[in-house]
Amino acid sequence: MRMTLSLLHWAFVLLMPVLLIGVINRVKSWWVGRKGPRLLQSAFDLQRLIGKQPVISTTASPLFRVAPYIVLVCSLLAASMMPLLGQFAPLQFAHDFVVVAYTLGLARLAMMISAMDVGSAFEGMGSAREASFSAYSEPALFLLIGTASAATGMTSFSDLIGFLHGTPHYAIIVAPLVLALLILLQAEAARVPVDDPMTHLELTMIHEVMILDHSGPDLAAMQYAAALKMTLYAGLIASLINPFNPVTDPAAATLVALALMFAVAVVVGCIESLCARLPMRWVPAYLLIASAAAAGSMVVLGLGASGV
Amino acid sequence: MSLLILAVLVLMAGAGLCLLPTRNAIRAGIGLVSQAISTLLACSVGIPVLLGGPDITGEIRWAYPIGDLHFRLDALGAFFLSWSLPMTLLGSVYAVGYMGKHLSGPRHLGVHFALLNMISVSFLLVYTGEHAVTFLFGWEIAALAAWLLVIWDYPNEKVRFAGFNYLVSTHIGLIFLVAAVMILYAHTQSWFLDDFGAWMSQNPGPLRNTVFLLLVTSFGLKSAFFPFHSWLPRAHAAAPAHVSALMSGVIHKAGLYALVRFLLLSGKPDEWMGWFLIAFSVVSALVGGLYTVGQRDLKRLLGYSSTENVGIAGIGFGIGCLGLTWDIPALVALGFGGGLLHVLNHAFFKCLLFYAAGCVYQVKHVVDLERLGGLFRLMPVTAVCFIVGGVAISALPPFNGFASEFMIYSGLFSGDGVGMWAKLALALVAAALAFVGAVSALSITRAFGVAFLGNARDSSLPEGHEASRWMLVPMGVHALGTLLLGVAPVLGFALVAGPVTLFMRTLPDASAVVSLQSTVDTLTRIGAISGALLLAVALIAWFRLRSRGSASGATWGCAYDAPNSRMQYGGTSFSTDFAHRFKNIMVLVKRRKAPIGYFPTDSYVITDCVDAVERRLYSVIGHGDDSATEVSARMQEDDPRLAFSAGLAALVIIAALVLLAEGTLQ
Repeated sequence: MRMTLSLLHWAFVLLMPVLLIGVINRVKSWWVGRKGPRLLQSAFDLQRLIGKQPVISTTASPLFRVAPYIVLVCSLLAASMMPLLGQFAPLQFAHDFVVVAYTLGLARLAMMISAMDVGSAFEGMGSAREASFSAYSEPALFLLIGTASAATGMTSFSDLIGFLHGTPHYAIIVAPLVLALLILLQAEAARVPVDDPMTHLELTMIHEVMILDHSGPDLAAMQYAAALKMTLYAGLIASLINPFNPVTDPAAATLVALALMFAVAVVVGCIESLCARLPMRWVPAYLLIASAAAAGSMVVLGLGASGV
Repeated sequence: MSLLILAVLVLMAGAGLCLLPTRNAIRAGIGLVSQAISTLLACSVGIPVLLGGPDITGEIRWAYPIGDLHFRLDALGAFFLSWSLPMTLLGSVYAVGYMGKHLSGPRHLGVHFALLNMISVSFLLVYTGEHAVTFLFGWEIAALAAWLLVIWDYPNEKVRFAGFNYLVSTHIGLIFLVAAVMILYAHTQSWFLDDFGAWMSQNPGPLRNTVFLLLVTSFGLKSAFFPFHSWLPRAHAAAPAHVSALMSGVIHKAGLYALVRFLLLSGKPDEWMGWFLIAFSVVSALVGGLYTVGQRDLKRLLGYSSTENVGIAGIGFGIGCLGLTWDIPALVALGFGGGLLHVLNHAFFKCLLFYAAGCVYQVKHVVDLERLGGLFRLMPVTAVCFIVGGVAISALPPFNGFASEFMIYSGLFSGDGVGMWAKLALALVAAALAFVGAVSALSITRAFGVAFLGNARDSSLPEGHEASRWMLVPMGVHALGTLLLGVAPVLGFALVAGPVTLFMRTLPDASAVVSLQSTVDTLTRIGAISGALLLAVALIAWFRLRSRGSASGATWGCAYDAPNSRMQYGGTSFSTDFAHRFKNIMVLVKRRKAPIGYFPTDSYVITDCVDAVERRLYSVIGHGDDSATEVSARMQEDDPRLAFSAGLAALVIIAALVLLAEGTLQ
């Protein structure tokens, strides 16, 4: 049983990044009245990149060649502990969420350092933005986990998300938590309104500007890792809502998870089509909404426990 | 015990002999040999105690007012001793390389090595002293020796000022410590720490609270907790690199040792003490972390990160205190275990970072981030050491900082038997810790990215090359330790288990051993994950660096094809946006000279992040000075009314004190 679920989990981890990017792009095309690219277009893009010979800056140190794959490996490691199908993850132990947060942190550090490595002002700027915005978004994740862990008394990531469904205040706290996660997704996966993946001006980029000098397979690794990170957050949102337990009810849980992740992608695509990117100076305030929402659900929980 | 006394004697003899020979190389050699011998002696005694052997006790008879001097080495003392002495030895080895050009110069290096020996002596006294006087004596030796080491470059006025600043601060701390010891002596009529502890555990109340606050203030000053840290950035920037490293990584851990020692002695703490310790430490970690962002001076930056890291360890101790209050063995194990492990880990990676900064200083003669750049090509070993230390200090896997922070996080999220609001408060602390982690990742990316990557910013600096072997070997040892404790944190925990067991024994419950086993399992798992990650990274590096299938070209300048190295993103530009969001906490001082006239010759903008506490302190002292002068200028000294009223006021205050003391002091 666990074996099958693990295989399903890894299938989600490996395939969903491509599909979710496809869905988002398709939704964005619909809003502007175009037909849009194929759903699997990003897979073809990756294939094209892998076939190319990379060009490496003469300024770059050896770290530059290694960093993209560190980013990829760290994201995959985090994926093995993140619940996507509901209350299940292949690797599950007490306080594994700290490992998830910090391996993603290592991925971010590797990306920022490889951006600083080529001595470009634009990439340094992107790296500075990424570093400071991640400092604003990091507490939100821990507040969210703290809420879930206080409500359920569980210690592993998938348990504390899974058992949340049975707690008395689930209906009230789930909405702010989903909002917080959606904002985190936009920040971590570089989507509008925090960052704009389609922009053409380096001054307004965050994620794209950091990988300006990567090319060929290196670029493919970076892009796939970014899409994977988005999948992880979308999967977390899906598990938070998904009412089925994958261990007792595998088919329903998987299908609902799939549908919910596509729904998240549709929502992200719609937001992207309807909003513009925020000015950089407003981004911290936007990210603080996530922390505030998670803190709000904590207060609800505390008041609930005190009998209000 | 006799081996420990022998170790002290060897160190003192070494310190004395250092001063005699005529050649600096021989002086240094004597210092190193005596340090190595005493380190071996002390470790041969300390390690068995640490791994569960019986405590070692000893007694020296002394004359009347002091009485017998008792010494005892228990697991807690042995834990600190077992790494303090070897690291001081490594620091002395580094000193040979760092002071290399003085070896044949006119400066007398013997004094420097003698002082390093005295630092080791002070560790032996503080970590074994059972008598308050030995403890204070060791404390004072460390303070004076550190001060003299800091002012190595004394012809420079700034260095003298930094040293004096440190000397005053550390003695203010001593006043608080002596005050606490006086209260304890008044009630126990004894000089022994055990008796102090017995009194403290039996008399909870306002007086114990006062003692606790006095001690926390004193140890906070020693370990540079916020807001008692203002001496630290100056002292760390002024001292030679190995002295900064030893001060930050090893010497000032004595403050944390003393804190943990008194917590161990004082039995079951009140609940407010745990929360107070957590709040105090969180503020330290946050402010220390934020200040690292704005610094231009690499060593100042590392200095502030000490404040951050003692804060993180303090959070662990606070959790442990709460565990003692609530009788939860798991919290005690995770809190004190995590805190102590972080102390050890911090010693490993902080010394490493300071040593790397010292290598940079030796080659370039500056550590200003705005002028460095591209050092990776020049000194690859130092650069790799710096990034290893940097990843560890940001508490990221696979290095050791992650293991200890993981334990502290586990303490914050281990919910059994904790009330709902307390759980939520601890989750808030975890969020603050996550913020601190992200901020330190920011400053390390900035420091490493600006100083070591990209291109050199200032061509007027000397070219230089990799540092000497004397410096690289200690760095290598520290880097290996950082890596080993990351992949096998169980090794670190084996050292910490002894002190944690001491805390467990104060609990009424006997299930303590079980909860230690679960911690060991968790750490093994963390180590395995870190190991897998490290292996993956090593494999990637091996494959990628061997493959030659890539072309090289210029950095993409976004269609601008005449970039120069001054156009790179610098340290200030990296941090300015983030720093401005916190300008209420950090004071950013901008000095600028605008270009004037048709042919401007000189113009600049310099942004400095100065210490808010220090600035405030000086402005208060300055104002206080002015107003005192003003008042005394207005007073007529021969006015009898003034003299009488002052006398009356003094009498009233003394009478009030006597009346108040009636109840508590007797």
